[in-house]
Amino acid sequence: MESFLFIGLPYISIGLFLFGTIARFRSSLYSISSQSSQFLEHRALRWGSTAWHIGIILILLAHIAVVLAPGLWTGLMSNKTILLVTESTGIALSLLCLIGILVLAVRRLVFSKVQAVTTNMDLVVLGLLFVQVGLGLAVALKHKWGAAWATGTVVPYLWSILTLKPRAELVTEMPLLVKAHVVGGFAFIALIPFSRLIHMLTAPVHYLLREPQLVVWSNLSRTREAVIAQAYDSRRFFLRGFVATGAGATMLAVGVMDKLVRFFQGPKLSKEQEAALMEEKLIRIKSTVEQRELEYERLKNDYIYVCRVSDLDARVGRYFTDFEMRPALAFRDEDGLPLLISAKCTHLGCTIANELSADGKILCPCHISYFDIKTGQPNEGSPAKSPLPHLDWVIFDSQGNLLAQRNSSGVTIETKDLALLLQQGSLYIVKNLDKRV
Amino acid sequence: MFRAFSDFLSARFPVEKMNFNAMVAKKEVPVHKMSWAYYLGGLSLFFLIVQVVTGLMLLFYYEPTVSDAHASVEFITKHVSGGALIRNMHSWSASAMIFCVMAHMLTAFAMKAFERPRELIWVTGVIMLLLTFTFGFTGYLLPWNQIAVNATKVGLQSIEEIGTFLPQSLSTLPRLIRETIQGEASVGQATLSRFYALHVVVLPLLMFAVLALHLFSIQLHGMSKGVDSEVRKTEKFFPDFMIKDLTLWGVVFLVLFIVALCLPFESFFSYPLSEPYNPLGSTPEGIKPEWYFYFLYYPLEMLPFWVVFLVTNAAVLVLLLAPWIFRGTSRRTLRVLAVVITAYLVLMTVFGEQIYYIVKGGQ
Ligand code: HEM
Ligand code: FES
Repeated sequence: MESFLFIGLPYISIGLFLFGTIARFRSSLYSISSQSSQFLEHRALRWGSTAWHIGIILILLAHIAVVLAPGLWTGLMSNKTILLVTESTGIALSLLCLIGILVLAVRRLVFSKVQAVTTNMDLVVLGLLFVQVGLGLAVALKHKWGAAWATGTVVPYLWSILTLKPRAELVTEMPLLVKAHVVGGFAFIALIPFSRLIHMLTAPVHYLLREPQLVVWSNLSRTREAVIAQAYDSRRFFLRGFVATGAGATMLAVGVMDKLVRFFQGPKLSKEQEAALMEEKLIRIKSTVEQRELEYERLKNDYIYVCRVSDLDARVGRYFTDFEMRPALAFRDEDGLPLLISAKCTHLGCTIANELSADGKILCPCHISYFDIKTGQPNEGSPAKSPLPHLDWVIFDSQGNLLAQRNSSGVTIETKDLALLLQQGSLYIVKNLDKRV
Repeated sequence: MFRAFSDFLSARFPVEKMNFNAMVAKKEVPVHKMSWAYYLGGLSLFFLIVQVVTGLMLLFYYEPTVSDAHASVEFITKHVSGGALIRNMHSWSASAMIFCVMAHMLTAFAMKAFERPRELIWVTGVIMLLLTFTFGFTGYLLPWNQIAVNATKVGLQSIEEIGTFLPQSLSTLPRLIRETIQGEASVGQATLSRFYALHVVVLPLLMFAVLALHLFSIQLHGMSKGVDSEVRKTEKFFPDFMIKDLTLWGVVFLVLFIVALCLPFESFFSYPLSEPYNPLGSTPEGIKPEWYFYFLYYPLEMLPFWVVFLVTNAAVLVLLLAPWIFRGTSRRTLRVLAVVITAYLVLMTVFGEQIYYIVKGGQ
């Protein structure tokens, strides 16, 4: 029984479908459509048909996409948000289909005019469609995430049928609902050429692209119907636009939701990433702490240690921070004594670079001002107009004895042992030299 | 005196027009060869909305402290899903908004949209332009990277330059102003806190208040006709114009989205500029403000400070008083003026650097 349902039936259906279709196209080119009954009754048709077609077209397209590109599909579905949106869209669409088909069925059964042109086949098709969509919906509700698991089960089975190496065992173990849905699907394929379903094949080509066409009684006085038919036609344009916009909007919604939800969720980091981040943070906090300590030190102390005199260099200045927390540079002057100069440009306050050029100048990179470190004066025509000030300093030995100092009255050396000063002296800046020494 | 004032107000806020019918249903938008300019205001509004939404999203992660600001911004771009996109959108849309607001002002000027009784629409517009620039200036500092802090320092320092042109007794005033803005002697935590408060709370509130007045008055008075000749054709504001407006927003959003997805705004900064600010190192080369300050920045580089200072202030004053200064000027003349100003802005923004080198090249 199972092998008939999952191997025999599929091939019979496909065979019937192929031959039936060819036969029908050859015999009656003009009957290959859904015979329009719109002029008999239009209101129920409008609502029922719109709902049904929007729903079923999107659902069928999704089914075809899964079968044709299972790899791409699996990739997409491994994203949880997309999966969620796909599933719920699918469920909503199948509900839409069911409602539409109910309206269409009621219309065929209730309106006497429509009833007259309704064949038994029409009713069979409607009934089967209802069952088939209902089964699909049931599968979606009972066995969640079908959009994800189908690619591993039903899709390989379908491919095995299409490639003539049928493997029924891929589906025989599936839940009953799923199997019923698969069987129903093949039953449909068989029915297509023998019912109005044939318009599935022709409609996409003719129906949407043909010139606007009115379906009216040959009695031209019936203008009312003509107008309605016209409205029906413009509705088809609307439908086309609607489907396109709908598809676009769905994609946009998936993308935006995916990003938005995760934006607010916050990143999920691995332990290593977390550690690296923490390390980075600590480094920055430490440098802030250093900065704060500098400030504290300057508020509390009258002398601030810069470096040992022997560490000074004539070419490359040492950055340090003065009492106002501004940058400054320390060089070794020609006599070996320190030369301290502000490194805050007198133009717009950029920090001046610490390399001395061959002609004894330091550069502010912001708008190119050169300052002579001896005089502090900027060069002719530079944006900075006023000189960089020099800073006062003192040198102590390790016991805290004053060896030398610079203040407003110039440099004074308090020791005879200049070599000792240059080797062991420590350089400090002074809060207010005149008051201290 | 009081009568004159109340007459002025009632002409600007006609109570009999304050209903949905007059303000929305009956509003017509003229159709003529300058009609495209009617979209610029709406576009500015669109970018403002984008700024508000993306800005609020950034607030979820941003931390306004000297030690964490840069790290938190980095966290947003590197780790938060969609974070880089949101941040890029905020930067790109900021630039786009400034561009639109400037273009909006120039076209409103050329179309003489400030004509009585629309003076207040114009004045609120100028205020919003200044607010928008302030948004840009304060926002620039928040990532606390090298270029941001140094450019901000330079910007604020120029306030102090004014001091040298004031009489002795007032010469410390600009310094005082600068330190009040900064909150301390140099740009630091206090500055960051203040800019942050301005950027995310104070400016938006001001902007919403002024914008409400701006939009309300526009709906009250309807669109100005915009051309000297008779307007023959109009279209309904609602729904015709509105649908076109929204369509444009949709397209612009798409473009913004794609640009933000593909092009990080920071890719225009050369190497050390987007590194965290280092208070002890020297200032790296290439410190520049954002492009929308070039029209002010390059003249500052080339001309004596007081010239730029005076011209800028005069320009703001003229802008604020335009409805009264240009009351009798024809739209033709205004158009020529607008074109000249546009030419200057484009020239300085696009070729500012080259002009700077030509002028300074001799030294
Ligand atoms: C955030 C900034 C701004 C926003 C969001 C904004 C928004 C708008 C909107 C939506 C309109 C109506 C549509 C239009 O005419 O384009 C408008 C009109 C107008 N705006 Fe703005 N605007 C801003 C800034 C400015 C500025 C800076 C000025 C001038 C200095 C200005 C002057 C005007 C004028 C005079 C009108 C009336 C146009 C007319 O009646 O023809 N606006 N604004
Ligand atoms: S800040 Fe140094 S030259 Fe301008």
